[in-house]
Amino acid sequence: MIRARRSLIALVALLAIVLAACGSSGGSKSAPKTSSTTGFGAAPSGTIVVGAEQDAACADWIDKCAASSWGAWMMQYQTMPRVFDYAKQGSDWVEVPNVAMAGMPTVTDVGGKQTVTYKISDAAIWSDGQPITSNDMKYTATQLASGKNVYDPTGYDQIESVATPDPKTAVVTFKKPFASWTQLFSADYGIQPSHLLEGKNRDQLMKNGYSWSGGPWIAKWNKGVSVTLTPNPKFYGTKPTVQKVIFKILADTAAQFQAFKAGELLAIYPQPEPSAIAAIKGGVPGTQAVYTADTANLEAVWMNNSRAPFDNKVVRQAVAYSIDRNAIVKRLFGDIGVEKPMQNLQPPINSRFADPNAWSQYTLNLDKVNSLMTGDGWKKDGSGVWAKGGKTASFTIESTAGNKRRELTEQILQQELQQAGFKMTIANKSADDLFGKILGAGTYQMTIYAQTATSLNPGLCAVACTSAIPTKANGQSGNNLSRISVPAADPLLATVDSNPDVQARITAGKQADRLLGDDQVSIPLDPLPNIVLWSDRIGGPVADNPVLSMFWNMNLWTLKG
Amino acid sequence: MVAYILRRVLYSIPVILIAALILLWGVRETFDPCAQFRTSRGGQASVERCRKADHLDEPITSQYWSWLTKAVQGDLGQSERTNADVGSTIATAMWYTIQLIFWGVLLSALLAIALGVYSAVRQYSVGDYILTTLSFIGLAMPPFWFGLIAIQFLAVGPKNWFGLDRTIFGFVGLHNGDSTGFDLDYVRHLVLPVLTLTVQSIAEWSRFQRASMLDVMSADYVRTARAKGVRRRDVLVKHALRNALIPLVTVMALDIGGLFGGVIITEKIFAIPGMGRLFLDSLQQGDAPMLVAWTVVTAVFVVLFNLIADILYGVLDPRIRLA
Amino acid sequence: MTTPAIEEVRAEEGVFEPVARSQWQLFRRRFFRHRGAIISMVVLILLAILCFGAGFIAPYANNQQDLLLGPVSPNAHHWLGTDELGRDQLTRLLYAGQLSLKIGFAVAIISTIVGTMIGAVAGYFGRAADQLLMRLTDLFLLVPAIAILALALEKFGHTDTVIILFLSLLFWMYVARIVRGDVLQLKEKEFIEAARASGASWLRIVVRHIIPNIIGPIMVNVTLGVATAIITESTLSFLGFGVQPPQTSWGNMLSDAEGYVGTSKSYLLYAPGIMILITVLCVNFIGDGLRDAFDPQSEKH
Repeated sequence: MIRARRSLIALVALLAIVLAACGSSGGSKSAPKTSSTTGFGAAPSGTIVVGAEQDAACADWIDKCAASSWGAWMMQYQTMPRVFDYAKQGSDWVEVPNVAMAGMPTVTDVGGKQTVTYKISDAAIWSDGQPITSNDMKYTATQLASGKNVYDPTGYDQIESVATPDPKTAVVTFKKPFASWTQLFSADYGIQPSHLLEGKNRDQLMKNGYSWSGGPWIAKWNKGVSVTLTPNPKFYGTKPTVQKVIFKILADTAAQFQAFKAGELLAIYPQPEPSAIAAIKGGVPGTQAVYTADTANLEAVWMNNSRAPFDNKVVRQAVAYSIDRNAIVKRLFGDIGVEKPMQNLQPPINSRFADPNAWSQYTLNLDKVNSLMTGDGWKKDGSGVWAKGGKTASFTIESTAGNKRRELTEQILQQELQQAGFKMTIANKSADDLFGKILGAGTYQMTIYAQTATSLNPGLCAVACTSAIPTKANGQSGNNLSRISVPAADPLLATVDSNPDVQARITAGKQADRLLGDDQVSIPLDPLPNIVLWSDRIGGPVADNPVLSMFWNMNLWTLKG
Repeated sequence: MVAYILRRVLYSIPVILIAALILLWGVRETFDPCAQFRTSRGGQASVERCRKADHLDEPITSQYWSWLTKAVQGDLGQSERTNADVGSTIATAMWYTIQLIFWGVLLSALLAIALGVYSAVRQYSVGDYILTTLSFIGLAMPPFWFGLIAIQFLAVGPKNWFGLDRTIFGFVGLHNGDSTGFDLDYVRHLVLPVLTLTVQSIAEWSRFQRASMLDVMSADYVRTARAKGVRRRDVLVKHALRNALIPLVTVMALDIGGLFGGVIITEKIFAIPGMGRLFLDSLQQGDAPMLVAWTVVTAVFVVLFNLIADILYGVLDPRIRLA
Repeated sequence: MTTPAIEEVRAEEGVFEPVARSQWQLFRRRFFRHRGAIISMVVLILLAILCFGAGFIAPYANNQQDLLLGPVSPNAHHWLGTDELGRDQLTRLLYAGQLSLKIGFAVAIISTIVGTMIGAVAGYFGRAADQLLMRLTDLFLLVPAIAILALALEKFGHTDTVIILFLSLLFWMYVARIVRGDVLQLKEKEFIEAARASGASWLRIVVRHIIPNIIGPIMVNVTLGVATAIITESTLSFLGFGVQPPQTSWGNMLSDAEGYVGTSKSYLLYAPGIMILITVLCVNFIGDGLRDAFDPQSEKH
C-alpha cells in the first residue's frame, strides 16, 4: 500500500507539472479568458497589473503620511484634480494646465500684492456629479494654512485670502510676493472636495482610502496588498479604455523584476538598484524600456557642516577631491546610459536655475588632497590616517539600511577615502530613525540620501539657507539638515524664492550654486535615474514624468491581447 | 485530561504576557516613532505632541498596562507605521501564513512518512543511502539559500533554457493579478514557497520516522506477528507504522511552532504578504503595537501546538496518562 | 575515569587473552570508524586553514575594488568571478569565512560552557533553581529570536561581538535544558550517592562526577550549536541585520546576491551558499560520529 501511495503521489506531481507547462505554452497572446479563476494565469481582459514598490502610508494627502511618493503616484494623482501638469518643451520642463483647468492661471499685481487668478473648467465635476468649484480651492488653502498635522504648509501660509467671485473662478492674494506659486494646488496636495469634507473630520474620512474622485480613476485601497483603479464614469477628460489597473505592492525590487519578467506584471517603475539594472541589461523580450536622468531627484553625500571634521572647509574640500564621482556614477548607472555625476545641489528638472559647473572642479586628485590637508596642519599618522592636534580625520556615515545602491556607494567611498587618508565607518539606520532622530537632531557626520522635488520651482533655500537650519529658536523645524551656512549665498537663495522675475531668479540661483560649490558644503552625486519598463501589450503614450511618475497618463493607455 | 489542559493554558498566559512586555520594552528602547516629526513644520513641538498622544513619555509599565487593558477588550491599537488597525492587519496576514503552514505540514508529513518508511524498510539499500544523504544536505542548507536556488533552477532556469512563455512555478506572491481561490495558478505559486519552508522539516522528520520505524520493526510484538505468519506488508501497516507514527506526530506538533520563524524567510523571498513579511516590515520601523500583537498571536499558536503535541501523545499512546 | 571494559580478543599464537581498553581509547576507535566524521574533520580543518590563512592564500587584497572592471563571470583571473564593485569573489569568500566560522564556533563554545554550568546546577539542585531555569527558557522560546537579535543589533551596533553575545544568549538556554535533563537522570545514580556520602561539596560532585559523564551529549550539542549558529548568522545577515562593511560574512554575500537570481550575475549566488552547506554538513557528520562514539547503542540503525 505504501508503494501504491508513493506512485500515486508521483503521478499527481507529474500531471501537475505537465498541466502547468501546457498552460504556459498557450502564451500570453491567447484570447482573453472570461473568468479570472480559470487558472491559466491571464488576468481578465482589460486589466493591467502593475508593480508598486511601496504602499501608501495613508490617503489623506494633507497629513504627515502624504510624504509617500507611491501613495501619490497610485492614488493622489489618479483621483485628485490639480492646477498643473508637467510637459517637456525643448530641453526644459514647464507647467501646463491640467484638464481640470480652463487655461493657465494669470498673475497680476493688485494694490502692490501678487494675485493669481485660477479658472476651473466648466466641465470639471466630481464623481458624484457635483462641480469642482473655487470653494474647493479655498477649502484646500484654508486646511493647509491652519490645519493640524499638516505635512508642510510652505506657500499656503503666504496666502492672505482666497476670493471666489464665481464658482469657477478663484483669486488668491499673497501677503508677500511668492515666486514659487506654481507649486500650489498641484502635485503637492491637489484640490480637495469641500462639499464632501467641509466641516467634517477630513483625516478620518480620507486616510484609509475614499471612493470619490475628481480625476480619471476611482481608487480602492487594499492596504498592504494592492490598489485597484477603475475608470471614473464622470471624468471630464479622456476616459480610460482599460477596465482596471491593479497596483500590486511588492516591496522587493528584485521580486518586482522577477514578476515582470515572468509576465505577471505588465509595467514597473523600479528604483535604479544594481539588481534591477543587471536584469535590464540581460534584456527582457516582449518589453520596452526607457531610462532617463532627467528626474526630480538628487542624491548626494551630505556632510554635517556644524560638526567636526566637516565644520572645517578644508576637510570638506579634501574629501571631495578624494573620491572619483565619475567612476561611481558610471559603475552604478553606466549600464543604463547614465554616466555623468551631478555638479550642483539641484535636481535636473530645476536645471534652468542651476550652475552646471558648480562642482566640476571636484574630481579625484590625491595631490590636491595632500596639499590641502598639509596646508591646514594635518599629518598622516602611523596607520595612514590624517591627524591634527590629537584627532584623526575619521567619521561615520549613516544612511538608510537595506538600500543596496547606497550600501555599494558607501563601500566605494570607504575604499577611496581610505586610500586618501580618511577613515570612514559605515553604520546604517532605519529611515524613520535617520530622518527624524539623527538628521533632524544633527547628531551625524555624513549621510547619503536623495531629495525629491514636487514642483518645477527650485527649493534650494529650504536645504541651504542659514535660516532653515533646525535650531531651538525655530522649534527645531527646518530642512537644512546639513547645517549649511554660507552667508554670502543666503540673500541670493532668498531672491530665488521670492522674486517673481524669472530672469532674476535664474541669475541669483546660478550665483548661489557657485558659492556653495566653492564652499563644498556637500557632495552631489547622481540624479537617481528613473526607469520605466512596460510590456509590449500596453499601447499608448507610456512615458516618464519626473514629478507625476510614469503612471500619470494611464487613462490614455490601451491593452492588447 | 481537562484539568491538565487547563493547567497548561493557565500557566502559559503569564509567560506570553511577559514575552510581550519584553518585546515592547525592547522596541521602545531602540526606536522612536515620533522622531519623523522633527523635520516637519512643528519641529520639536510636534515631536512632543506626538509623544504625548502616543503615551511615549510614560514609563514602560504603564504603556504596557494601557495596551493590555485595551487588548483584552479586543482593541489591539493602530500600527505606528501604516495607521491601519492592528487586528485586521494581523488577520489578513495570518490568512496567508496559515495557508503556507497548512500545505507545508501536509506535504512534510506525507513525504516524511513515505520517505522514512521506505528508508526503514529498505534499510542499507541504495535508495536508503541516497535519501539519507539528501536529508543531511537538506538539514545543512540554509533555507533561504534553498529558496533562491529553487527559483534559479526550477523556475527562471527552465524558462530560459526551454524558451517557455512563463515560468513553470510562480514565485511572486500566491496569486496572479487579483484572482483568488484554489486553482492551478494557486498551486503553481505554492510549490516553491512551501518547499522552501519545509525542506528542513522534511529532512528532519523523515530521519525521525526512519529511526522510529526501525525501533518498532525490531520490537518483540512485530517479530511475534511475523512468526505467526502475518504477511510483511500487513505487519508494517497494521502494527509498525501505527506505532511508529506516535513519536513523529508529537515531534511534528512541536516543530510547527518553529515554522512561524521559517515563514519570515519564505515570505520575504517569495513576496507573500503574510505574518513573516508583516514582522519584518514592522521590525524595520519599530512599529511597537504591531510587534507586540504579533508576538502574542504567534506565542498563542506555539503554545497551542505544544499543547496539541502533549495531548496527542497522551491520546495515541495508551501507556501514558496525562495528569 | 578509566573504567576498564573488556573489548577485544586478540589472537596471539593460539592464546586467547582478553584485553582491557580505556573509555577514551574506545571512544577514539568508535569515532574513527565513522568514515563520514573523519572526512568531515579533514575538510573542516582544511576550510579553516584556507579561510584564516586568507592573508597568504587569497589572490587579491581584501576588499580590493575595481570599479572599471565591474562584475564579471568566473574566468582565469577570477576563479569565482567578481561582484558589482569588481571585488574578487574568491578572496571575499575566504575572508567572509573567517567571520562565519568565528561566529559559529564562538557561539557554540560560549553557549555550551554557560549552558552546561547552569543546566548542571539547575538539574542537580532541582526544585527552585530548576523551575526558574525552565520558566526562563520557556519565555525565550516564545519571544521570536530574530526580533531580539535584530533589536539588539540595531541598538548596540552591527558588530560581530554583538552577534556572538546575543546568539550565545539565546542558545545557552537550549543547551541548559538538555543538560538539566541528563543531570536529573544521573543524579539518582549510586556513584553520586556515594560521592555525597563521602562528604564531597556540590561543586566537586558536579564538576568531577556529573559533567564528565555527560560529556558525550555535551560535545554533540557543541556541534549542533555550531551548525545552528552558522545558519542563524547567515540568515540574519541575509535579512539585513548582520555585520556592516567592510566586514563581510557568507550570509552578507548572499544578501547582496539575492537580486541577481535569473540574471547573468547569478553566479554570485552559488559559492557562499555552498560554503555554508559544506561547513554545516561537516559539522553535522562530526556530531553524528561523536554521538555514535559515545553511545554505541544509538549506532546502527
